[in-house]
Amino acid sequence: MKPVYLAGRGLACALGLDVKTSVAALRQGGVSTSSYSLPGALGGSFPYHAIPFPRNDWNERARTLVLGVATEAGAQLIRSGVLFIATSSFDIGGVEQGTAQMDYSAFSNKIAAWLDWSGPVYVINTACTSSLNALIAAQALLNAGEAEDALVLGIELDNQPTMGGFASLQLLSSGSSKPFGANRDGLVLGEAVSALRLSTHESAQWQMLGGANVVDGSQPTGASATAVVSMYQRALEASCLTADAIDLIKVQAAGSPGNDAVEAQGLRAAFPKMPSLVSLKAAMGHTMGASGAAEIALLTACLEQGVWPEYEAVADAELGVELAASVPDRVRHVLATILGFGGSHASVVLERT
Amino acid sequence: MKTFTISGRCIASPPPADWREQLTQMLGAKPRRIGTWAELGLYGALRCMADAGEKTLPPQAQIWLGSRRGTYAATDIVLEQLREDLPMPMAFLQTQPSQLLALLAAQTDWKGHACFVAGAEPLALLRLAAAQAGKDGVLLGWLDEMDGGMSNWLRLRPCADAAGGFHVAPAEALFSTQISHLRLVNTGVEVKPVA
Repeated sequence: MKPVYLAGRGLACALGLDVKTSVAALRQGGVSTSSYSLPGALGGSFPYHAIPFPRNDWNERARTLVLGVATEAGAQLIRSGVLFIATSSFDIGGVEQGTAQMDYSAFSNKIAAWLDWSGPVYVINTACTSSLNALIAAQALLNAGEAEDALVLGIELDNQPTMGGFASLQLLSSGSSKPFGANRDGLVLGEAVSALRLSTHESAQWQMLGGANVVDGSQPTGASATAVVSMYQRALEASCLTADAIDLIKVQAAGSPGNDAVEAQGLRAAFPKMPSLVSLKAAMGHTMGASGAAEIALLTACLEQGVWPEYEAVADAELGVELAASVPDRVRHVLATILGFGGSHASVVLERT
Repeated sequence: MKTFTISGRCIASPPPADWREQLTQMLGAKPRRIGTWAELGLYGALRCMADAGEKTLPPQAQIWLGSRRGTYAATDIVLEQLREDLPMPMAFLQTQPSQLLALLAAQTDWKGHACFVAGAEPLALLRLAAAQAGKDGVLLGWLDEMDGGMSNWLRLRPCADAAGGFHVAPAEALFSTQISHLRLVNTGVEVKPVA
C-alpha cells in the first residue's frame, strides 16, 4: 500500500482568496459575517460567511475561484490524475441565474474544462461530508496503485436553495456560530472552494493515513452518538492507530444545540484521554460539502504557522469537552471530522511527517 | 484486479408497473414524504437484498449509488417554492441524493459506509467501489427516476476462487441477468456468464 501525501492545498473562503491570506486573516482575529436575506415567514436576514469576491455571474465567479485554488494546490502538475469534485449543491446557483442546466455530467465536464483536466473525474455528494468522502475515495484509489495523483476539489458557492433549506429546517443561527458554546443557537453557513492535492510520489509534510464514513439513518438531519463513536473507531483502525495516538481533533462543532451535544458525547466515549480540540466553524462558517477539504487546508497551514482561531463564545460546561485556547505544543496526528445530513459521519486522520 | 460474485440483483429498467405496491409490501407501510427518487431506490435496493437472502448488510459492507439525473425533480420543486417562500423542509431534504442512503440504512437497521456518485458511468462507480470494498462486499445501485425510471442494483461479494470463463464485456453488461461474476481490469470489465 503506497503512502498518500497531502502535496498541495488551496482555499478560497470568507477569510480570503488563498491559504496565505486566510491564515493572515485568522491571525488578525478573523472577519465579520455578511448578511443573507431569505423570503417568507421563516425567512429574514441571516449571517453568512461569503467569499470576498464579487457576486455576479455564477459560472464566471466559480471558474475564477476554482482556477485560483486549483493552481494554488498545484493542480496544473497533475492534469492526468484523478479529479474528485465534492459538493452538495453542484451549480444550482447557476441554474437559479439561468446560466446552467441541472445536469451532473455538464457540471463535471464544465469544471474539468476549466482545469484542462484529462484524467478521470468523479463527483461525490454525501451532503456536508462530501469532500471527506472524496478524500477517502481518492486515498483508496491511490493506495491501490490505480493512480499516483489526485485532486479533491470542494465547491460550495452561494445559492438560495441551500440557505432556504437550512432556514426552513430552522438550523440557522440568527447571530453567530458558537462551537460547543453555552448559548449556541445554530449554524452559520459559508462559501468555500477548496483543493487538496494528493500524491503517492511527492512526499510532503502531511500524510493521509486513513478515514471512515458511517451512515446512520436514525436522524435524517443530525448526528448519532453511536455512529460518531463508530466513525472514530473505524477511522483509527483504517489508520492503524489507537485513540491515545491522536493529538488534535478538528471537530464539527458548528454551534448546533443538538449536534454539538451528540458530538461531545461521542468524543467522551471514544477518547478516555481527550486530545486537544479545534473548530474552524466560527471563523469560516459551515461550508457544507467543501468543509472537510477547506478546514484541512486551513488547519494544516495554521499548525505550520502557529496560528489559532479565537472563540468568543462561553464554553458549555455541560458538554464535558472544551476547545483548545491555543496551538497545542506537539501535534503529530490530527483527526478531522465532519458530520452532515443524511446521517453521514466522516473522519480522516493525518500525520505530520 | 478485483473479482466479485453477484449474490443478488434487481434489474428494474424500467421498474414494473406495480413497483410502489411492492415497495409498500416490503416496508410494511406506504412510504411517506421521501420522494419518488428515494422510493424507487428503496424498491430496487430491498429487492436486490431479498434476492441475495439478506435483510440487512454486514457492518463492513458498503453501499455505492450512482445516478445520471439524481434528484433533479425534487430540486425543481424547491426552486419553484423559493419564488415566494422558503422551501418545505422535507422538500429540501429530498434534493439531497444521499438521503436515500440514510433511508436505506434506517430501513435495514445498518450502519456503515455509503456514498453517492453523481453522473459517473456505472463502470466508474464500480471502480470506486472496488477500491474501497472489503470482505463484506458492496451493494451497488444505479438509479434514475426520469425517462421511465431505472433502479438497478447488484449485491457484490469479493470472490477469490472464480476460475476461468471470463470475457470482456461492455459496461451495460454489468446489469445483465446472464452473468454470475464480474471483475475489473485496466481496460474495463470482464464478466462470467451464468453456468
